[in-house]
Amino acid sequence: MPDSMHNEVKQFEEPVRPAGQNQAPQQTETSPAAYSPHARRNAAVIIVVVVAVAAMLIGGQYLAHRGERSGTITAGGPKPGAAAPDFTLQSLDGKTVRLTDFRGKAVLLNFWATWCEPCKLEMPWFVELQKQYGPQGLEVLGVAMDDSGKEAVAKFAKDMGVNYPVLLGKESVGDEYGGLEYLPTSFYIDRDGKVVARVFGLRSRSDIEDWIKEALSRGSRVAGKESSQQPGVGKFETSN
Amino acid sequence: MRRVTEAVLLVALMAVVAMAQAGGPSVEMAPTAVTPVLRGKPSPVELDFRVKQGFHINSNHPNSPYLIPTVLKLDAPTDIAIGKVDYPAGRNLTFAFAPDEKLNVYSGDFAVKVTVHPLHTATPGKYNVRGQLRYQACDDRACYPPRNLAVHFEVQVKKPAAGARPNRQSPHVHS
Repeated sequence: MPDSMHNEVKQFEEPVRPAGQNQAPQQTETSPAAYSPHARRNAAVIIVVVVAVAAMLIGGQYLAHRGERSGTITAGGPKPGAAAPDFTLQSLDGKTVRLTDFRGKAVLLNFWATWCEPCKLEMPWFVELQKQYGPQGLEVLGVAMDDSGKEAVAKFAKDMGVNYPVLLGKESVGDEYGGLEYLPTSFYIDRDGKVVARVFGLRSRSDIEDWIKEALSRGSRVAGKESSQQPGVGKFETSN
Repeated sequence: MRRVTEAVLLVALMAVVAMAQAGGPSVEMAPTAVTPVLRGKPSPVELDFRVKQGFHINSNHPNSPYLIPTVLKLDAPTDIAIGKVDYPAGRNLTFAFAPDEKLNVYSGDFAVKVTVHPLHTATPGKYNVRGQLRYQACDDRACYPPRNLAVHFEVQVKKPAAGARPNRQSPHVHS
């Protein structure tokens, strides 16, 4: 077939720019009537609407970015201070695990998947942090949101040297935790089962450690849930 | 007052579009004009895709078995066979979240070439080919669940010029 019969690459349409950036000045009214009180009022309304929408867009972007950086809210799921939704999931070793089984401990609930490269970076940190803070009452729980099957998840977890329980996730649980639009997503839950922080995407190890400390410091301890006590933490504080 | 109403609606619409575009990752397909193809002859059709800025998707051959490759699946209409699908080579890139690995990815614009083969039984005319591009996207801090992009293009099947030799690969030619 001759080349002329082939279609050439088509142009992608240019994205629509945010409001306020592609507003051509309105110069259509040039008659004296354009300067009537009615026309001035219309112009004022238009300007107010444009400025308001532009401010909302810019403000929304700013807040979203700020929220991401501070590890707070950019997506759904239980907010800090709210009770973490309970669930019942199967672990890789066949046990039935409920979130409430860990009441009295601080829980780092980490949603991940085998196809999630940023999740892989966190896992060795979680292994180390579980060793370091486990005696103080930390429990890392990994929830694999994978379609690849138990064997693939188990192999992946083994390859990564995971030393904490890995649970096989369900969509219904993901929905309870905001739909999990992206991974990794982690919830830091205090000893009373309340969310201390919810974090979307990869964060630094030091940030993760800070949230773990905060989760450990909140809520009431339950006897026998940890093997050591730290002064100044676990004073029946509740999340705000 | 009518102008004010129109202006308000326009601005509101623009705001909605802008906010929608500010959302998660996306891959879009460029509009493809109807491709003329000759009956009985395999012809390439190029499909152009664009990955939203700031995101990447795995190539068709990612460097890890755990990663989900980009795959195009097409449902051919009757009398149209879909042949080889040629994916572009991805770029080997290192990301902050995997400093010791090179991931083979697509970002920006990429094209997938599809071989369309109208059989000898195909009636000249326009045919719709539909399918899905399955991809899994990430940015520099997070990955997004696999998504399917609806793919659609049209081919115009034409009769070959008079006297042209029939394609011996056709299942309808028995020599």
